[in-house]
Amino acid sequence: MGLVCLGVNHKTAPVEVRERFAFSKSALEAALQEVAGGEGIDETVVLSTCNRVEVYAVCESSDAGLAHLEGYLRDHFGVEKGEVDLFYRLRDGETARHLFRVASGLDSMVLGETEIFGQVKKAYAAAHGAGVTSRLLNKLFQHSFKVGKAVRSSTHIARGATSVGSVAVDLAEKIFGDLGKCQVMVLGAGDMSRRTAQSLMSRGAKSIIVSNRSYDKAEELAVEMGGEAIRFDDWAMAIPKVDIVISSTGAPHTVIHPDDVQAAMRRRRGRPLFVIDIAVPRDVEAGVNELENVYLYDIDALEAIAAEGRREREAQIKVCDAMIEEHMGEMDVPGLGSGGEGRGREEMGGEYRAAHE
Amino acid sequence: MAGEVMDRLFLILSTVCFLGGFLYVVAGIRSGAYRPSRVNLTIMGLGFVFQCVYLWQLGQLRGRCPITNGFDLLIFVSWSMVLFYFLLGPPFRVSLLGVFTAPMVFLFQVGALLISGGKLEATPLAERGKLDPWLETHAALSLMGYGAFALACVAGVMYLVQDRQLKRQQLSNLFYSLPPITALGRTVFRLLVIGFVLLTAGIGSAFLMKDRPDVVHLLPTVAVWVVYGVLVGWQLVRGMGARKLALVSAWAFVLPVLTLLLLH
Repeated sequence: MGLVCLGVNHKTAPVEVRERFAFSKSALEAALQEVAGGEGIDETVVLSTCNRVEVYAVCESSDAGLAHLEGYLRDHFGVEKGEVDLFYRLRDGETARHLFRVASGLDSMVLGETEIFGQVKKAYAAAHGAGVTSRLLNKLFQHSFKVGKAVRSSTHIARGATSVGSVAVDLAEKIFGDLGKCQVMVLGAGDMSRRTAQSLMSRGAKSIIVSNRSYDKAEELAVEMGGEAIRFDDWAMAIPKVDIVISSTGAPHTVIHPDDVQAAMRRRRGRPLFVIDIAVPRDVEAGVNELENVYLYDIDALEAIAAEGRREREAQIKVCDAMIEEHMGEMDVPGLGSGGEGRGREEMGGEYRAAHE
Repeated sequence: MAGEVMDRLFLILSTVCFLGGFLYVVAGIRSGAYRPSRVNLTIMGLGFVFQCVYLWQLGQLRGRCPITNGFDLLIFVSWSMVLFYFLLGPPFRVSLLGVFTAPMVFLFQVGALLISGGKLEATPLAERGKLDPWLETHAALSLMGYGAFALACVAGVMYLVQDRQLKRQQLSNLFYSLPPITALGRTVFRLLVIGFVLLTAGIGSAFLMKDRPDVVHLLPTVAVWVVYGVLVGWQLVRGMGARKLALVSAWAFVLPVLTLLLLH
């Protein structure tokens, strides 16, 4: 009996390839039944996200099982000759180790991200619901949830923010706590400010005001985000009632000066103001950060924190892998071998192997 | 010696708990693995239970509310601080208040142990009948007010630490463990209001005592009341800003400490 995984992910294949192999939600159950119905396949789980498509299976023989899965993908997704190398083929212990790394966020594009944990859970629930899992995959996936939780709670792999948007959100939460009472103002309707505002809104910010030199663009973004548009000449009047200002106007000179903010702060009765300047050249004069209860972060400051977050997470990989090895030792699944000595590692896609070794 | 240790057993146990709680969180923060957990809350809770038991024993010994000398007073203020920590910390998600509170309580209690001298003396039975309940109310409420001011000082320091990190854009492990700065600002103000109300009631009860209050004793307390009253009033009427409030709260606690030293 063997445990195998056949898959592609963001490290082995570009999005144009990955998207072709993606299993749609509506077709997943039929696909699960079809894979599980193959000769020599006893159990299966399909994990299909925007960054990976992986088919896990318990089969009578690893080689025959992998051949069957490849055949299935060839028949259903039209895998071309050169694309065969983009797939990694993992066996036994290496499959378990890989699943543990995936569930822990170690194999994700954004190291340590937590969304994958839910996606693995959903994939397992779908397969379990379809009745195509049994003793081995049940045990393996349950164990992967335990490992994913343990790795995240005992290490810093999910600590800190790794992108400008998430740093801005983290800082906003460290200033205001619950963002549910926070009003956001966006100056300049560019892509970067839109994304940052979206991050804040997705974490519960109360409302948004958009101001842009072109009022039409401001209105467009305001409608998209369920907010209110104001004329560019009026942004200074709005500062007393907002808590977070995101500025990215594209102006060649500074737009927000200490005097503007100081006047507004008098009317805020000491409520803090978080100013995010993601424009280059900068929109906000550095002196604004000297004002009491005003916290100014420009793009370099946000990037530096994000880079530090990424560095800290990368430094945790070894610790996480050591934890996973401990769990591999604890695994008691018949037929899996010792874990780690599987032949699959040699057969993994070239880029994937390079990224892991 | 053994008798003296037994006399103060629960005080020593609670002091050890506060030191342990402090060291536990500091170790967690230094390693970056700190997360608010039941462990720290349990250690602080245990320290509080020991404090309560000790104060009860002391009350039995004194035959009154145990606020008769500098030793009692330090323990009572420490107890008030932990009480307010439990009332305001976990419910308002400012759990790390414990790590800043614990060392202050530890120092107060070590101070109490150092000045406690030999065997604790019981109040003679003859004196117990002469007690004025308003005098005890005055002392207890005033010291509880001081406890709230001490905790406002602690929360103020936490605010200033968080503000400094945000301004300098240097975010340490402590930054991620501290509560949001606005929550800290609100906590400072809440504690100032609680302290002021308690101190007002404490001073008010002094005027209900059988004997006229001792002016020399009462004046420094009234001075503290005026300073904190101005602080609370200013914030209520004009809104001085959370940072200024935190800064003034941190420094203002020097005044209650000085009055305690002066009076005892």
